[in-house]
Amino acid sequence: MPPSARSRLIGAGLILAAVALAAGPRGRASSRPPIRAHADMDVQPRAEAQAASAFFYDGATLRPPVAGTVARGELRDSGPYWTGLDAAGDFVATIPMAPQALDDAFRERGRRRFEIYCGPCHDRNGDGKGILFERAKTRTPSFHQDRLRQAPDGYIFGIITGGFGLMPSYAYPIPVADRWAIIAHLRELQARHATRAEGAEAGSAAQSPPGAP
Amino acid sequence: MPPVSAEPARREREHWRSLEQRSGTTGARAFREREFPAGASEPPQGLDRRTLVQLLGATLSLAGLAACRRPVETIVPLVTPPENLVPGVAKRYATTMPFGCAGYGLVVESHEGRPTKIEGNELHPANRGSASAQMQAAILGLYDPDRSQHVLQGVAGGGASATGGEAAGENAARLAPPPAAGFERRAWSDFVAAWKALEPGYLASGGAGLAILAPAWSSPTLFRLAGALRQRFPQLRWATWEPVSEENALAGVALAAGRRLRPTYDLGAARVLLSLDADLLLGESDAVAQARGFAAGRQLATENDPMNRLWVVESALTTTGAMADHRLRLASGKVGAFALALAAQLEGAGVSVGLPSGFSAEAPAGVPARWIETLAGDLAAHPGSGLVVAGRDQPAALHALALAINGALGNVGTTVLLHEAGDLLAPSTAELDGLLDAMRGGEVSTLFVLGGNPVYDAPADFDLRSALAKVANVVHLGLAVDETAERAHWHLPEAHFLEAWGDCRAADGTASVVQPLIAPLFGGHSAVELLCLLAVGEEQSGYDAVRETWSALLPTPVGPFDFDDAFNRVLHDGLLAGSAPAPVEALRLYPLSTETLAALTADAEAAPGTLELVFRPSPATHDGRHANIAWLQELPDAVSKLTWGNAALLSPRTAARLGLENEDGARLRLDAGAAVELPVWIVPGQADETVVVHLGYGRRAAGRVGTGVGVDVYPLRRSGHLGFVAGATLEPTGRRHRIAQTQDHGTMEGRSIVREASLAEWRREPGFAREKVEIPEEGPRGEERRPADGPQWAMSVDLNVCTGCNACVLACQSENNVPVVGPEQVRRGREMHWLRVDRYFSGAPERPEVVFQPVPCMHCENAPCEQVCPVAATVHTGDGLNAMVYNRCIGSRSCSNNCPYKVRRFNFLDYAEDTPEVVKLAANPEVTVRSRGVMEKCTYCVQRIQRARVDAKMAERPLADGDVRTACQQTCPTQAIVFGDLHEPGAQVNERKRRNRNYLLLAELGVRPRTSYLARIRNPHPDLAGDPVI
Repeated sequence: MPPSARSRLIGAGLILAAVALAAGPRGRASSRPPIRAHADMDVQPRAEAQAASAFFYDGATLRPPVAGTVARGELRDSGPYWTGLDAAGDFVATIPMAPQALDDAFRERGRRRFEIYCGPCHDRNGDGKGILFERAKTRTPSFHQDRLRQAPDGYIFGIITGGFGLMPSYAYPIPVADRWAIIAHLRELQARHATRAEGAEAGSAAQSPPGAP
Repeated sequence: MPPVSAEPARREREHWRSLEQRSGTTGARAFREREFPAGASEPPQGLDRRTLVQLLGATLSLAGLAACRRPVETIVPLVTPPENLVPGVAKRYATTMPFGCAGYGLVVESHEGRPTKIEGNELHPANRGSASAQMQAAILGLYDPDRSQHVLQGVAGGGASATGGEAAGENAARLAPPPAAGFERRAWSDFVAAWKALEPGYLASGGAGLAILAPAWSSPTLFRLAGALRQRFPQLRWATWEPVSEENALAGVALAAGRRLRPTYDLGAARVLLSLDADLLLGESDAVAQARGFAAGRQLATENDPMNRLWVVESALTTTGAMADHRLRLASGKVGAFALALAAQLEGAGVSVGLPSGFSAEAPAGVPARWIETLAGDLAAHPGSGLVVAGRDQPAALHALALAINGALGNVGTTVLLHEAGDLLAPSTAELDGLLDAMRGGEVSTLFVLGGNPVYDAPADFDLRSALAKVANVVHLGLAVDETAERAHWHLPEAHFLEAWGDCRAADGTASVVQPLIAPLFGGHSAVELLCLLAVGEEQSGYDAVRETWSALLPTPVGPFDFDDAFNRVLHDGLLAGSAPAPVEALRLYPLSTETLAALTADAEAAPGTLELVFRPSPATHDGRHANIAWLQELPDAVSKLTWGNAALLSPRTAARLGLENEDGARLRLDAGAAVELPVWIVPGQADETVVVHLGYGRRAAGRVGTGVGVDVYPLRRSGHLGFVAGATLEPTGRRHRIAQTQDHGTMEGRSIVREASLAEWRREPGFAREKVEIPEEGPRGEERRPADGPQWAMSVDLNVCTGCNACVLACQSENNVPVVGPEQVRRGREMHWLRVDRYFSGAPERPEVVFQPVPCMHCENAPCEQVCPVAATVHTGDGLNAMVYNRCIGSRSCSNNCPYKVRRFNFLDYAEDTPEVVKLAANPEVTVRSRGVMEKCTYCVQRIQRARVDAKMAERPLADGDVRTACQQTCPTQAIVFGDLHEPGAQVNERKRRNRNYLLLAELGVRPRTSYLARIRNPHPDLAGDPVI
């Protein structure tokens, strides 16, 4: 081995030692990212989902779809199922699906989605006293009022899709099928609440319901 | 049953890959005997090992200082995410690829709005789910870093300056190269203003002095706008030019039928096929659909199934010729005379082709009379289910004669379908000639070149450059600053078809929309948008222009949203169902005149001592438009196995006569005119005394990949002889060239790798493909390596329908982020394709038969590679995959050494190191990009298996057969590849493996490969004894 090469190797060794020292004692908290001696295909020369991009002007690899394009499996027509509107442009009164599709499983799906996306503000009972009320004293409208009981299903669909007042659009997280499922659950909530209210009224009018043993 | 002794023995064939291998030349032997060719382990260029170690030490320590901490990565979501966009879940969009007169239906996979993988549209008649290599490579054409990024204006006196340009909303402006010398950056609005200044003058003069030079289109919107433009400027000149086109075919049909019709061929309905110099299965338009139809007649479950018969008469050895049951080698110029002799033979057999009375035709010398007789008899015996197709380079008269023969045999309406040519701007050499004359005469003051690259690819005798010099304003719309842009006064960046709205009609008239997958990366505009500006007088978005056209194509809407619904349905499906007009029913064919037919024999004989020069579009770069797509440059040619460049292809006998060997330099000269120097490559099976050259190479301004690759042969190409020309000479220059080719890479040492028999032999000996050797029931370790539960993946490849078209190789490359290594590395045997298509010859070198064999990883149950890996980097999964763990691999390459099939690929260098930002977008985010020092190989597309499993689980159903389709299987035009679960008895793969043609590669080793093959069957005519190739 020629002397120059040896000294180069020694130099490299010294630098490595310096690196190891600079890495500091182990076990101490650091705000800097962890040391990585060997990258080993960790950083990939490809565009990852939601990563930063050095190419696009807005710095994101995520590109919005070109307006007007239709992906496979995402064909929508102008019918009431996708828009909540009937041919005359009015809100549809009821969920535009086959009645046999509106089964318990469908409402159960709606309940789960409702409690994830709607419950935090509207409360899981729909009385408008969700976490927003508890923490910020901001009330959302109760679903148990005549205006919303009589509102057509298409109206509620439109609000989930487009937002209303403080409420943003929930079109992104809630697919169309789930929106109708939520509406189905909401109607059930309203009906149950009304029954309970009637029951309470009836209960206060007569101490025991008629026909009770 | 005849006595056994009377049966002729099955012809045992010896297969060979190259002439060197056949003759046992030492170089080929040495290449075969080494796992890696000499020098394959050496680092590149002029560094010895010691220096490299020192450098590595230095870089390691420097890297340690600079980047020892994990980089901080940020998440960049969309502010208002659109509905249905789930990060990490791919979407698929249907779109259409316009390609000359044709249109191909595609489905493009898009990850978060970035197109990454192209597949065929299963609903589209031109694709039926498959896509050719060129279609799939369009993804790299989109992300080409050398695409033009700015509107450029030529400035007097030259000098580059980087002022102007659109700063806001521009992708990677700082990465853009400075404009070419002599150009200044401008904005699109500057161009519009410049045009608006000229427009009133042209409006006043009715468009005198205004001209358009456009590529061929089959697009309703462009056709409508072209009409509007002609109306606005009645004096406008329009020329349509394509260097490789169906011009002769359309003219021939017009000659015979008296009107303009477009032919399509239903090969699936044909029992007897004759190709007259037509590369039906790869080179011609609509080859994907034709290959699919051809394969439909050869999917043999048992030896008693009917099988079609393919007769081929051709000069160059094409993939179609390789699939032929009978092949006649004949110079392209003599094919016309052959067809006449065939027609005369048919007339004699009572088939009225309509030859003029008293017309006599003699077969070209060397064609056995018995061959023509048998062929004529075969065609006449299959009325309505025969097919005669002439190649697009053949003169119009031959196309007319082929149609006459088809008409006489009753094939028109069954195998030959003729369609009204709607919305077609057909190419015309005469139009180009007329336009150039006008330009030279000073009659053109403003010329719009709407795409294409005529400066590079126009016929040499037209002298387009001198004509361009006479035009005051040349506006060029193009994807790159190419040879034509350099001579223009304005260059406008064109939007790629994956970025712009448009529409298209397929050959049969099926209308579809070109749907963009992404906003223009470099702010380009489409031909539709530019034509809107010219024809309507104002800027209009491509979307609006296309919708305007389609309001006439779609049914009249009743409700307010009916049009939107119907239009969105077209976008979703990728075509308008039922938009193909019914094929012409009652077709009257005009008898062919003596003059027309005499033209066929006019230039049949070349002067003695000269060669016939045949021009063919490159299967990779086509006419040169794909020159900057590295995937295609590195794709080995189906027959010659050349990569990265073209060569003068010669038959062995002609090469011997001229004293030329492989890689010798030779000067190719036509008459006394222009000459180019090319390397020589000998192709067994080519017609003698012809020299075949591929167009599309030697680009001067293609970009960082394609510039200077190969030799430009357009200087030899003249109008009137675009396909072939007699009178060429080839003289040795004494120089040696180095060709990057792969024909001897990965051989398996002459073992019985490919198996084949004739149909008659198969019927006599149904089990011919099975092993003659004893197959060990248990592996070397005596283990049963097939778990009883869960899916067990396996593959079957049918050699009987594989046409060697390379679509699978490119699909694999695109799906699995397989790197491109460049010509120098290919010469060292370092190409990385996970799936290679081996091409075997058998028989005499002059007249060989050909078999193609795709070879992916065999996924052996007793994989020899796993047994030698020192670090367990290659291991078996529970579902039978032979998996690679890239992070464990230390690059010992023991596995590759121990692999009997030579399917492992090693990253000798960091091929992804200097990937430009924009090219990174083309990578599949579901597959790891491998770094240097890592072994890799076919994974059976494990990411697709996982995706299908997740999808099935989400839908709460079991995996069904066909849920998992590997990339190669998905795109195969002939469905040669089938993949599935061994544990599912009804799976297609099991049905294939039960056939008696099934065999395993090197089964005697006992490694139990999961990939198996079905033997090739040939169907020679029983009356035609002797060699199937003449």
